[in-house]
Amino acid sequence: MPEELKLIRGYPEYMLESIERVEESRPRRLEEGPPPSMTLEERKRLLERYHPDYAPGGKRALKVGPNKGDVAPNEVADLLEAYPLVEPGEVALHVDIDVDILILGGGLAGTMAAIWASERGIPPDRILLATKLRHGDSNSIMAQGGTQAADKPYDSPAIHFLDAYGGGHFTNKPDVLRALVEDAPFIMKWLTELGCLFDRDENGEFIEDWGGGTSRPRMHAARDYTGMEELRVIRDEFRSRGFGLLEFYPAVELLTDPKGRVAGAVLWNMETDEYKVVRAKAVILATGGFGRLHIRGFPTTNHYGATADGLVLAYRAGAVMRDLDTVQYHPTGAAYPQQIVGLLITEKVRGLGAQVVNDQGEAFVFPLEPRDVEAAAIIRECYDRERCLVTPTGLRGVWLDSPMIEEIHGKGTIEKRLPAMYRMYQRFGIDMSRDPILVFPTLHYQNGGVETDPWGRTNVEGLFVAGEVTGGVHGKNRLMGNSTLDCLVFGRRAGLAAADYVKEAEPPEKVTLDHLEGFIKELQDAGIPRERRSPMLLPDYRGKRVLARTIDLL
Amino acid sequence: MPEIMDRIKEANQAVTTGLDDSTIKHWVTVYIMGKGYRVPADITIMQAMEYAGYRFVRGAGCRAGFCGACATVYRTAGDWRLKTALACQTRVEDGMYLVQIPFTPAEKPTYDLEKEPPDGTTLLKYFPEVARCVACNTCTKACPQDLEMMDAIQAALRGDLEEVTELSFDCIQCGLCAMRCPAEITHYHVTQLARRLYGRTLSVPQHVLDRVAEIEAGKYEDEFQRLMSMSREELEELYRTEQREKGGLKSRDASRVTRNGQGEG
Amino acid sequence: MPDDTRHASRVTRHDTLSPITHHSSRIPYFPGCALKDQARAFERSAQLAMQALGWELFELPRWNCCGTVYSLASDDLMRHLGPVRNLVRAQELGEGRLVALCAMCYNTLARSSRFVEADPERLRRINAFMDEEPDYRGGVEVVHLLQLLRDEVGYGEIEAKVARSLEGVRVAPYYGCMLLRPREVGIDDPDSPEVMEELLSSLGAEPVEFPQRAECCGAYQAVSRPEIARGRVQEIVSSARRAGAELIATSCPLCQFNLETHQNVTHHSSPIAVVYFTQLLALALGVPGDQLGFELLRLDPRPVLSKKELV
Repeated sequence: MPEELKLIRGYPEYMLESIERVEESRPRRLEEGPPPSMTLEERKRLLERYHPDYAPGGKRALKVGPNKGDVAPNEVADLLEAYPLVEPGEVALHVDIDVDILILGGGLAGTMAAIWASERGIPPDRILLATKLRHGDSNSIMAQGGTQAADKPYDSPAIHFLDAYGGGHFTNKPDVLRALVEDAPFIMKWLTELGCLFDRDENGEFIEDWGGGTSRPRMHAARDYTGMEELRVIRDEFRSRGFGLLEFYPAVELLTDPKGRVAGAVLWNMETDEYKVVRAKAVILATGGFGRLHIRGFPTTNHYGATADGLVLAYRAGAVMRDLDTVQYHPTGAAYPQQIVGLLITEKVRGLGAQVVNDQGEAFVFPLEPRDVEAAAIIRECYDRERCLVTPTGLRGVWLDSPMIEEIHGKGTIEKRLPAMYRMYQRFGIDMSRDPILVFPTLHYQNGGVETDPWGRTNVEGLFVAGEVTGGVHGKNRLMGNSTLDCLVFGRRAGLAAADYVKEAEPPEKVTLDHLEGFIKELQDAGIPRERRSPMLLPDYRGKRVLARTIDLL
Repeated sequence: MPEIMDRIKEANQAVTTGLDDSTIKHWVTVYIMGKGYRVPADITIMQAMEYAGYRFVRGAGCRAGFCGACATVYRTAGDWRLKTALACQTRVEDGMYLVQIPFTPAEKPTYDLEKEPPDGTTLLKYFPEVARCVACNTCTKACPQDLEMMDAIQAALRGDLEEVTELSFDCIQCGLCAMRCPAEITHYHVTQLARRLYGRTLSVPQHVLDRVAEIEAGKYEDEFQRLMSMSREELEELYRTEQREKGGLKSRDASRVTRNGQGEG
Repeated sequence: MPDDTRHASRVTRHDTLSPITHHSSRIPYFPGCALKDQARAFERSAQLAMQALGWELFELPRWNCCGTVYSLASDDLMRHLGPVRNLVRAQELGEGRLVALCAMCYNTLARSSRFVEADPERLRRINAFMDEEPDYRGGVEVVHLLQLLRDEVGYGEIEAKVARSLEGVRVAPYYGCMLLRPREVGIDDPDSPEVMEELLSSLGAEPVEFPQRAECCGAYQAVSRPEIARGRVQEIVSSARRAGAELIATSCPLCQFNLETHQNVTHHSSPIAVVYFTQLLALALGVPGDQLGFELLRLDPRPVLSKKELV
């Protein structure tokens, strides 16, 4: 950014005029409220015209595998239609570690699975959690806004069900969704008993906010650190129980027995290149999302390791996916300053009353539409109606009028309820309680994935799934607060189901990579180029100039 | 419509694939473990290290300031102070001389909180070293979240769990305080235990207990049977009427709710 | 609902005391770690007693642990950060004095205060290190509550305000080490102190002077070599018993703990309860007996007190 660009309160001078217009219109907008929410027909039309999922050219039909013919984003298809990093015969498969349950992924879902498998009677030293980065490095830890649970008298699990079903465009698996909403109050009780600190009012009851697409306020939050608070508490509990843990050891391939039952995984030490062969009676896949694929070139809210590894591994083992054709773009990712582009601006900001406003100071959309609708509306405002701001680096965005929160709930609310976000903007010289913030949609959530039943079971024996990697619970669009809930509910259920399974199951007689052979043949028949390999493991942001001049010498 | 997508993709290239040198007008020099690199001004330390050719295995996590993976220690030219930062949230400065500390060794004791009283004695039992605190305030100065860590440890020392919680809530457990502490306290483990203990002094709200009991007793069984048996069209219709008109999703905006978030819905 | 005793540690004058009378004097006090946890009875009774005398003891804001033990090494500046930071807090309030209740806190703070004032270079270096605080300029006087009662409030005033005479109660004041030694910070003559006896007399009680009243209780040896503490305590308590004591009064939570825990109780002798002097002070000044934290002590003094119908 050129130094000649003078910054006032953190913003380039040329944006001040628009900020002033937002300030001017604020009293009127507080009084009148924003435009009303859209009818179902209006929503549909908007999505078809402006939502990235609907724009042609971004997706294609898969050529191989259990979902052959189904549509997935190109970036995901590139990974699913790719050769393994490790092919049969390339590594010796002597078993290094033998456990009952192998959990892949160290976020909320994986950690829950471990704890509940042990609650169901599996000894902790027979459970191994392997994670690509550190235990806790996940999308879970960044979840800000909250966790939904229908635990107030004005609410019920059935209403929660309908909200999620409508938000998911009526494509959610009803029995799986039912499990989600019915377990939710129990999850809140259990977390509280562990010492998790959700926001409470002066009577000791949970403060519960609105979220996009919800008809009742039921979002439980721990300030804007909800995911972090939940995860650090259950991680602390995990650490007291004696589970096996391997960090910086991603799985690069699942192992199967001769009958096709999942029997473990090949783990790879990212720091020493050593691999380990783990045999397990059951594998729980909790590997999270795919934001770092930057689908359609969007920035992302996701953590460094969100590269769809689990999808790839499961696909090769024969697991069926669903709803891969939809991608959730969070309507409000930070658009300015450049250093934080794409980072999550939680829906809670809108839940607390901030309106979405264009450069003229007009609120142009109901702030709490379901996320896909909201995102499409912002894209329309920026790129069609062109009533947006353009940042010095060429990004477009609209205002999220955060100072409204102070007006509605009292001065100091933002610092109290959104301390993480407040601090983030302060680091870059912006006071979000005084000035609005600039937002644009950002790639956020994998709505679909490996199809699951209400107990985390897949169509592949021995393979269980939980969390963002799964498909079915959210249908084609997830509501805010249902993702952390998904991880917690299905992490627990997968742990319980896997525990029950391993109590009955025999250990795998043999671990093989044989399931890859059929897959490789399919790839060859489909003419997939040999160089295409997956899983990706980590994205690569190294400077182009440097990459053009590197040699791999060691 | 497709060209909208292309324009979005192009606008975001700096973030998704890396900076294009031709767009950079200003440069600075940063020293990564002593080696100087010319990098674009006004990017984060994390982006600068990647620009210079480092591919993170350690030292990158959420990239958003929540996970503490990118703890960085640095000095700037002419300033004797040792400073700390999160690489993903901090802009580079010309002459910045930095190293990353992605891991701090710390032993976390194991405990079963069902068996421990939720008060200061439990903290001292598992972390007697908090009594070694000399109130030097080095931990506070090391904290990239600007938390008053010394005050938190002092509160822990006298068993004031609520105060520890207030002061330490935003802790992302990066470990810089523990690394710098002359008394070798592991602050983030102490405060984690304190917060859990404090949480355990608060009872589960009655409304939650009631709802859990209702669900266990099968109160919603009939309603769900009905929902499960409906077709997709019927559910769509139900959503339309119950949720949107009759139920709660008013046409007024959500800011019109009471302080506790209770709507009329 | 939160546990009641949890709140007790954060008791300020607003929670339990009646409105301050118009002629009160206000002075900051340093609680120290023990008074917030194991020795809550000491803090509570001190505040109630002072209020009854028309004084307001208000808690020093943002105080930290005094460090407990004064560092004897002449170049160990780091150990003085803790105490000096507390003096800065008092200075920030514009206060010239800071009252301590726990004898060990008093001793550590007072000696540290003298240490840094004795050599400007020490103070300069400490101030330079604590660059996030205002510089400590020196001059905050650390005062023990017994000094305040003797020198400012005055025994006459105290006697005049006694509502419930402790007549007939034989109390052995135990000084321990920290109130009297070293001489520079001692609040009384270390060979022949009288301050606690005089205070007890003004309450109507019968002070019992006994030879071991200023001998060390063993202090921290109770943790690492308990037999040392046991030996010391048994000599001290049996000395008090022989002198006719019904209760022992002290001003130090560690002494109080040691004297309680290491008494040798046989069928020959019943235990002697160890109270904080402020509990007796408050009781005599009319504060109801159930507000003084007697139930928080391990050895119950109430049987002795109820014989004189005091509780």
